[in-house]
Amino acid sequence: MTYALPVLVFVMVALATAQALRRAAWWRQGAAAEVAWGPGLLALPRRYLVDVHHVVARDAYASRMHAVVAGGLIVATVLAGLAILPSLGGSRLYWAIVALAFGVTAAGSLLVGARRYPAKPRRLSGGRFQILPFLLLAYALGGLAGALLLALGAASTPALIAALALSGVGGLGLAYEVRRGPMRHAVAGALHLVAHPRPGRFRSRLDTALAPLDLDAARLGAETPADFTWNRLLSYDSCIQCGRCETACPAFAAGQPLNPKRLIQDLVAGMTADEPPYAGSPYPNAREVDPPAAPLARLIGPDARIHPDTLWACTTCRACVEECPMMIEHVDAIVSLRRNETMEFARPPEKAADILSDLRGAGEPGGRALSARTDFAAGLDLPVISARGEADVLLWLGEGAYDLRYGRTLRALVRLMRDAGVDFAVLGAEERDTGDLARRLGDEATYQQLARANVETLGRYRFGRIVTADPHALHALRNEYRVFGGEWTVVHHTALLLELIEAGRLKPGVLGGLSVTYHDPCYLGRYNGETEAPRKVLDLIGASRVEMARSGRRSMCCGGGGGAPISDVAGDRRIPDIRMGQAIETGAAVVAVACPTCTAMLEGVTGVRPDVKDIAELLLASMELGA
Amino acid sequence: MIANADALLKPLTIKGLTIRNRVMSTSHAPGYGKDGKPQERYQLYHEEKAKGGIGLTMFGGSSSVALDSPAAPWNQVSVADDSVVPFFREFSDRVHKHGAKLMIQLTHMGRRTKYDTENWFPTLSASPRREPASRTIPKEMEQEDIDRVVRDFAAAARRCKQGGLDGCEVSAAHGHLIDQFWSPGVNQRTDRYGGSLENRMRFGIEALEAMRAEVGDDYVIGIRMSGDEMIADGLSHDDCLAIASEYARRGLVDFLNILGGQARDHIAHAISLPNMSFPVAPFLFLPSAIKREVDVPVFHAQRVTDLATAARAVHDGHVDMVAMTRAHIADPHLVKKLSEGRADDIRQCVGAGYCIDRIYVGGDALCIQNAATGREATMPHVIAKGDVRRKVVVVGAGPAGLEAARVAAERGHQVVLFEKQALAGGQIGVAAKAGWREALSGITRWLVGQVTKLGVDLRFGVAATEALILAERPDVVIVATGGLPSRGPAKGAEAHAVTTWDVLTGAVEPTGSVLLYDEMGQHNAASTAELLAKRGCFVEIATHDRMVGEELGATNQPVHLRELYKLGVVMTPNMELIEIYPEGNRLVAALRNTMTDAEEERVVDRVVVEHGTLPVDALFFGLKNASVNKGVLDQGAIVRGEPQPYDLSAGYALYRVGDAVAGRNIHAAIYDALRLCKDL
Ligand SMILES: Cc1cc2nc3c(=O)[nH]c(=O)nc-3n(C[C@H](O)[C@H](O)[C@H](O)COP(=O)(O)OP(=O)(O)OC[C@H]3O[C@@H](n4cnc5c(N)ncnc54)[C@H](O)[C@@H]3O)c2cc1C
Ligand SMILES: Cc1cc2nc3c(=O)[nH]c(=O)nc-3n(C[C@H](O)[C@H](O)[C@H](O)COP(=O)(O)O)c2cc1C
Ligand code: SF4
Ligand code: SF4
Ligand code: SF4
Repeated sequence: MTYALPVLVFVMVALATAQALRRAAWWRQGAAAEVAWGPGLLALPRRYLVDVHHVVARDAYASRMHAVVAGGLIVATVLAGLAILPSLGGSRLYWAIVALAFGVTAAGSLLVGARRYPAKPRRLSGGRFQILPFLLLAYALGGLAGALLLALGAASTPALIAALALSGVGGLGLAYEVRRGPMRHAVAGALHLVAHPRPGRFRSRLDTALAPLDLDAARLGAETPADFTWNRLLSYDSCIQCGRCETACPAFAAGQPLNPKRLIQDLVAGMTADEPPYAGSPYPNAREVDPPAAPLARLIGPDARIHPDTLWACTTCRACVEECPMMIEHVDAIVSLRRNETMEFARPPEKAADILSDLRGAGEPGGRALSARTDFAAGLDLPVISARGEADVLLWLGEGAYDLRYGRTLRALVRLMRDAGVDFAVLGAEERDTGDLARRLGDEATYQQLARANVETLGRYRFGRIVTADPHALHALRNEYRVFGGEWTVVHHTALLLELIEAGRLKPGVLGGLSVTYHDPCYLGRYNGETEAPRKVLDLIGASRVEMARSGRRSMCCGGGGGAPISDVAGDRRIPDIRMGQAIETGAAVVAVACPTCTAMLEGVTGVRPDVKDIAELLLASMELGA
Repeated sequence: MIANADALLKPLTIKGLTIRNRVMSTSHAPGYGKDGKPQERYQLYHEEKAKGGIGLTMFGGSSSVALDSPAAPWNQVSVADDSVVPFFREFSDRVHKHGAKLMIQLTHMGRRTKYDTENWFPTLSASPRREPASRTIPKEMEQEDIDRVVRDFAAAARRCKQGGLDGCEVSAAHGHLIDQFWSPGVNQRTDRYGGSLENRMRFGIEALEAMRAEVGDDYVIGIRMSGDEMIADGLSHDDCLAIASEYARRGLVDFLNILGGQARDHIAHAISLPNMSFPVAPFLFLPSAIKREVDVPVFHAQRVTDLATAARAVHDGHVDMVAMTRAHIADPHLVKKLSEGRADDIRQCVGAGYCIDRIYVGGDALCIQNAATGREATMPHVIAKGDVRRKVVVVGAGPAGLEAARVAAERGHQVVLFEKQALAGGQIGVAAKAGWREALSGITRWLVGQVTKLGVDLRFGVAATEALILAERPDVVIVATGGLPSRGPAKGAEAHAVTTWDVLTGAVEPTGSVLLYDEMGQHNAASTAELLAKRGCFVEIATHDRMVGEELGATNQPVHLRELYKLGVVMTPNMELIEIYPEGNRLVAALRNTMTDAEEERVVDRVVVEHGTLPVDALFFGLKNASVNKGVLDQGAIVRGEPQPYDLSAGYALYRVGDAVAGRNIHAAIYDALRLCKDL
């Protein structure tokens, strides 16, 4: 009887492998991808124990639960399997150890169950996930009882048989679930960590730049699941439906028809014809769709699995990516789907068509003259680099320069740079839009055209570094232009201002007693990991700083990214209203911002609310007060 | 947010000159010149606009280029010799420091000035025709005069350039010498300067060509001219279009500053500076039409008082620059407030014409509602916070009380404002009830907006009493209880006369025949007469003065007179009301001619009188004895711009401002309050 348990384990492993291989056949429908297997395998333990843990640990209960149940399950199963060795199978001490491992697993299973019964949190999926604790418990309790009996020396008693049978039901159930059930995440997740499409994001580094698209490819972007690379299909399969992404998603919170978890599950469901029904929270105010039954069909459309409104509601804020314990890259998926909609089918959001055509034709989303970009500074005599050839700092103005309200921020920044004696210049009429908007709207062709033109322009001048107050421009210039040959030091204005203060070149005054809460722009905080400089500047001007419930890397989007204001997908509330509500909760008199889009979105909130001021405006105000 | 506001905030480049936005102030003569020079007061006045974000400010309305166009009459600027250049330099540095551009208006006023001042030269013109407005008969210019004045224009342009000004404008509007030559009603010459339009244009062309030759092609020179003189013997719209196109085509001018009408007599002058009786931007169609025909930028001023209209004018392509001249007198920080998203804080010009009316009686331009304008050396446009926080109680929410509350709150004090009426405004509320004078209430609206924003504790509908005030434990009490109308000394007036207030507020609704006796010569009686006549009364307005509305200024009086004539109001000057008594159910009013002493009687249904106000001062006297200063204002400290020298640890200080001291006007009320409270 000592062989029964190891045999069960082998059968389980065989079944799980068979199920995984059946699933793998589907992943292989995906496009080819370059995967560095060796390094990936070597890095696996670290990726799992450090990077994944870092995310999982944000939910302390889940973290403890997972460590106990997964740790117990793996140790117990491996140990039980080793009992095939006669020397071990005969050792009662050994069986005692195995029993201990199953005991731990059983305890973990209870934790899994306790989270789902009597009622589960809304973000967790139901369906087959509700059976999981029972399968785990059956396997663990059966294993525990069996191992205990063996440790006590009981040979083939009916009790032992019963225990092994219980364990067999649970264990085989778990193994069977590897193809379509919750246990898929374990196999797919492990493989995903090895073959991750963005290996650069591990070791706490950032890898957030979108990959450029080959515009000569036969199909642009993803139309069907098969258009994703196989390792991305694999990544979607690793989703454990924990719903952390859904909780973080601003569009979901606003009642727009987007739920990143559901979206990933739709991609999964689109791979095969027999995926069990989705049992998590739906897309809020879900639009009616009519998905075809056949696998690998078109994904986007009113007659497909995902309604276009779902696709266009995303602000590309990366909050979902930041929260996902399985390291899934939702935004990449969304952009791939958008590229296909926009470029293959010419179906960008209704209001985007003119904007994209202006971007192509005029280099500017409003079709305004490029020379008008510096209008906000008329009278300030902005130095233009073409007149001088070089400057220490090239000030990238961005689209905000055309905006009446934001002109105030830029004027404050220009004055501060002047006061500090920074040698700077602007591109003037040679500055084009960075293409960020076009790219996030899926128009990679226009983006690449603009990127190449800007890289070419910048290449003609000599400057030490680029400073910009626009995190979207910063991200494009710093991270996304590299592949087009643009390699510069790109600094956000808040970092420059801090540097100037620390070097004694700017003498901040004191805005004593002014309570300020800082709103992190997604493209600065999450995309570029910069959260400290703006806060330090606020501290240096004596503001009393209060944090919103969501801040830093885990801040909430203002609703302005990814072309969302252009798509303008209807929901129950507006994202900026929600964010402003969070700011109001802090009781702060001012919401400090550091991005033209955030400024516009938050300034657009009506009613009694804190003032919206850029860090540069606040610093200047402090200096004027001090003077 | 103001629609299309960004259209206003776009720069405009003329030749090499970039103006930072599309908002400007046209040249005007505020009467701040001193010895013919723009000195500190004048410069600070324009520097304030530059600080306030304006793109281009033009100073020196009607600055003279020649000795026989004297600078003295309106305390103007003389550019007739080089001594002005250092002042220009100082001036342009001041304005450039804030990123704005500075230009001047150059002119020879021809017949439109005085001979009996400064150098006592006769006035000049194309022909010896008298202008009703200026009342002089000019000498007809000889060729030598023409050549000399042409040289004078050139020399003046050189002085502008040397002084660092960004450009200059030649006035050919409001009936100055160049447009006297243009206008067939003035120019009766038969030589090469008269007759055909081509000939009449010649003098101006010669002047501009000489200026160009002197300063070169890249210096900005423009012209101010009418787009339609709107009189039978004047320049038609087609004439103006022809002149504008010809001057622009020849490259003589870099911009055209177009206005509507002319200023040859009282009503024409009033129309050219439209007051609150006119709609907003009444002549915008003229620059718009000319802009279609020329390649140079077009400017325009004439009652563009709000940014929405300004933005529309530029955005819709009617003009390239929009002038908001009086709008900047009322609020020099207009553009700054717009670009800082504080458009709600803009103090909008109400079109009272107080500014312009004062200069036509030899005064300096002051704004009815902004007492800091023109007083930049002593009065702040932005009130600085003080170091101590006091408790200030203000009684009365007329203009004096509102301004006191506003300024005290800006200083950081805790302010309580009592007003016994349900609404703020005091007498402005009464004045605004009269027909076209409604816009006066804009003064109240802005003040109320500000005090509300500043968190003043507003107690409307509460009549302050000594007990209520003292219960607040104030450090300072400001009594601004204003005045109430007097019925005057005529026998029987107390019993039988009603006041203009009674009529305006609707307390009395007269019918039939009304005798309106006016001893003030102000708006009050004139607008009451208009109101009554419109309601169908038969109205006679009698006054002690030589004419009806004698105290009214040049841009207001003609409008009142026009209305009174149209309504058939009988106007009887040089009469004094001596007695009123009843006869049956009617009244008999006895009048005495002030020149002959002859007495007349009128039998009417109503006698309405206007004798101004007497102060409401009971509260003041009740509080006076217990106050630390016995209610006395230290005038020396006020004039020196110092705080009042009273020790507040021992109790409260008590002041009176506005009509509660003596019946005066809105500016006096607001100035009283500003100068006291800015140092509180
Ligand atoms: C018909 C008319 C036309 C006019 N036209 C012009 C014009 O064109 N230009 C011009 O410059 N001036 C004009 N004036 C005069 C001008 O309105 C006054 O000079 C000015 O309003 C005086 O301001 P004030 O604040 O001192 O007093 P008021 O405006 O009289 O305000 C005093 C306020 O105090 C309140 N008050 C009094 N006692 C108490 C109390 N115990 N508790 C609480 N509140 C109290 C009153 O209700 C009132 O609201 C006009 C006046 C009238 C009547
Ligand atoms: C006090 C004052 C003086 C003026 N003097 C002149 C002048 O000397 N020359 C001139 O061309 N216009 C003069 N103007 C007219 C203004 O330039 C302008 O045309 C007028 O105020 C109408 O514009 P607005 O409605 O924006 O104020 C004067 C205006 C004011 C208020
Ligand atoms: S990127 Fe932001 S908006 Fe888009 S799905 Fe993720 S969380 Fe939602
Ligand atoms: S995508 Fe990631 S965060 Fe979202 S449910 Fe799946 S595993 Fe959880
Ligand atoms: S006095 Fe009147 S017309 Fe003149 S600027 Fe002030 S508000 Fe305008």
